[in-house]
Amino acid sequence: MSAIQLRNLTKTFGDFTALKTMDLDIADGEFMALLGPSGCGKSTTMNMIAGMEEPTSGRILFGERDMAGVPMGRRGVGFVFQNYAIFTHMTVRQNLAYGPRMRGAAKAEIDRRVGAIAELLQLTPLLDRKADRLSVNILQRVAIGRSAIMEPAIFLLDEPLSNVDAAFRAVMRTELKQLQRQFRQTMVYVTHDQLEAMTMADRIAVMDHGVLQQVGTPLEVYNNPANVFVARFIGAPGMNLLKGRSAESDRGLVIDLGPLGVTLPLPDELAASLRGARGDVLYGFRPEQVALAQDGRGLAMPVTFVERIGARTIVHLGQGDGAVKAVFDNDVGLSIGQTAVVAPASSSVRIFDAASGLAMRVG
Amino acid sequence: MDARTKPALRDEGARLGFRLTLPAQILVLFISAFPLLMQLYISVTDWSPLSGLGWWNPWEMWNSFANYTDLAADARFWSALKRTAIVMVVCVPAEFLLGLALATLFADDFPGKRIFYSILLMPMMVVPAVAGYMFFMLFQSGGPVNDILSAITGTPVTIAWLSDPTLALIAVMIADIWQWTPLMFLILLAGLVGVPEDQIKAATLLGANPWQRFVTIVLPKMKTIIIIALAIRVIENFKIFDTLYIMTGGGPGVATETISVYIYKVTTQDLIWGYVAAIALAILIVLSIVAVFAMKRMARARQMAA
Repeated sequence: MSAIQLRNLTKTFGDFTALKTMDLDIADGEFMALLGPSGCGKSTTMNMIAGMEEPTSGRILFGERDMAGVPMGRRGVGFVFQNYAIFTHMTVRQNLAYGPRMRGAAKAEIDRRVGAIAELLQLTPLLDRKADRLSVNILQRVAIGRSAIMEPAIFLLDEPLSNVDAAFRAVMRTELKQLQRQFRQTMVYVTHDQLEAMTMADRIAVMDHGVLQQVGTPLEVYNNPANVFVARFIGAPGMNLLKGRSAESDRGLVIDLGPLGVTLPLPDELAASLRGARGDVLYGFRPEQVALAQDGRGLAMPVTFVERIGARTIVHLGQGDGAVKAVFDNDVGLSIGQTAVVAPASSSVRIFDAASGLAMRVG
Repeated sequence: MDARTKPALRDEGARLGFRLTLPAQILVLFISAFPLLMQLYISVTDWSPLSGLGWWNPWEMWNSFANYTDLAADARFWSALKRTAIVMVVCVPAEFLLGLALATLFADDFPGKRIFYSILLMPMMVVPAVAGYMFFMLFQSGGPVNDILSAITGTPVTIAWLSDPTLALIAVMIADIWQWTPLMFLILLAGLVGVPEDQIKAATLLGANPWQRFVTIVLPKMKTIIIIALAIRVIENFKIFDTLYIMTGGGPGVATETISVYIYKVTTQDLIWGYVAAIALAILIVLSIVAVFAMKRMARARQMAA
């Protein structure tokens, strides 16, 4: 009943296409993150679901019900704004009571519902505080409570953590995820922060330039990016991509990494699925999945920069198109100017078509 | 820096601050304090420029507080005060409601908005004396207002607007509302566009209809600016003079004589300046009470909005 279906959804502003024929199914009770860089169309998608903007074409269905022409006040959607949009001239109680009061609920009924939601969100001691002097995590809870009291089937959250400092964000992520478990509503969460998407979402819809790139669980989009954009965008740092040509040799199918002067054999199952496909490819592997190797068994590249961030060390290697990053646990004995030989774990290698940017799938 | 040197340094800072602001303070003294003290001084004498005494020694004409006791018993003063209050009680709310309605209209986009906006602001740009002449012409017995009324009713209308005590007051109030609604509109529009759009959207999503949104979100957010707008107009309206004086000269009789017109007449016709000073001081006190009240409300509103 509270599943969301987007069908061929398109939105243009004049000449600018904000969203291009988007199809997405969000299941009842699912936590879906819309993830992408700014300008990718994720907020536009959200605003159309909420009814704040009309689609140029395409349809939005809640369950079986077409939402075309249904005004935002009647969609039964809870919306948490980026800045929470708390009514600062009211108390916490008045904020929570706003929805039922506007719909003409009886005084006793309002008191009962406010009491219940305040209890759930641990806002009871703060009920009579003015909303203009609250800390961010309390503001977030008030914003959620104010929407949740209407018992919406669908909850939309527009980058609710982007105004919060990093230390606090971790706390609020956990809090939000717990709240979602309590409410069991369908949640759509817009963010540009992959860490938020990865930690909270059941599935992630990665978007770029108004086009949906991939939908999948956090591990799916991390392990098997559908294309070059997703490969680079997901992960910190993103996937390494090196230009190469696939070629047959006596060692089986190999990737000739041209300027680096190396050919690397492909793992058997990947080679099997690629057999017959010849030409320019991108050879991808995760920075976290490399090991230092002996000469001749990997990519020999000069170290250009070393970032030591305590538990992890990020080593930058090579330059320009051939630049690669490698992430090691703890410290490694490498310094700028040295030549390091790195070997990607064969299970982590992914091959993309250089022309289309699409992943060549295993199996 | 230990605790003993701190107060000394603060004193040093205060002294320096005093020296640096001294020129400005002297200027302020001459601009506001000197005239005020002079007025207070003259108001307890019978002095006038024709009395032959220099402005520096009217003390020779000291009359105790006769001016103030006269004022308390001056029926013409009290009726002028009452008339001023009537004008204010009609004009300021009318200007406020019209201004608010227009501001609400102009907060959204509609075709031709910019042109209407310019037209709407025009009355404010007209010199009040010129506006006075315009309305003087409009309200003549053979003037456009009567012509339009004739056309509407189908019978010839020849109302003598400016010679009838009640109608003259109404005409004067219409002119004031015409001229000063735009100012109210402008201030309120500035306040209206400052209301956070997110909060209005949030209210809409929570099911509030336009009227509920206006009452529960927009008006409370505009409280400070509404108080400012009302205070400005109350104080200005209390001093209503130019347009009115040209339209009716305070007449017929004293039917439109407001406090400013009364003071003007006493000053230029009766030439009893000591008495004028007493009247002006009394009014200053009344207006100061209004201003202090408004400022207190504003401070409280700001505190609540902060």
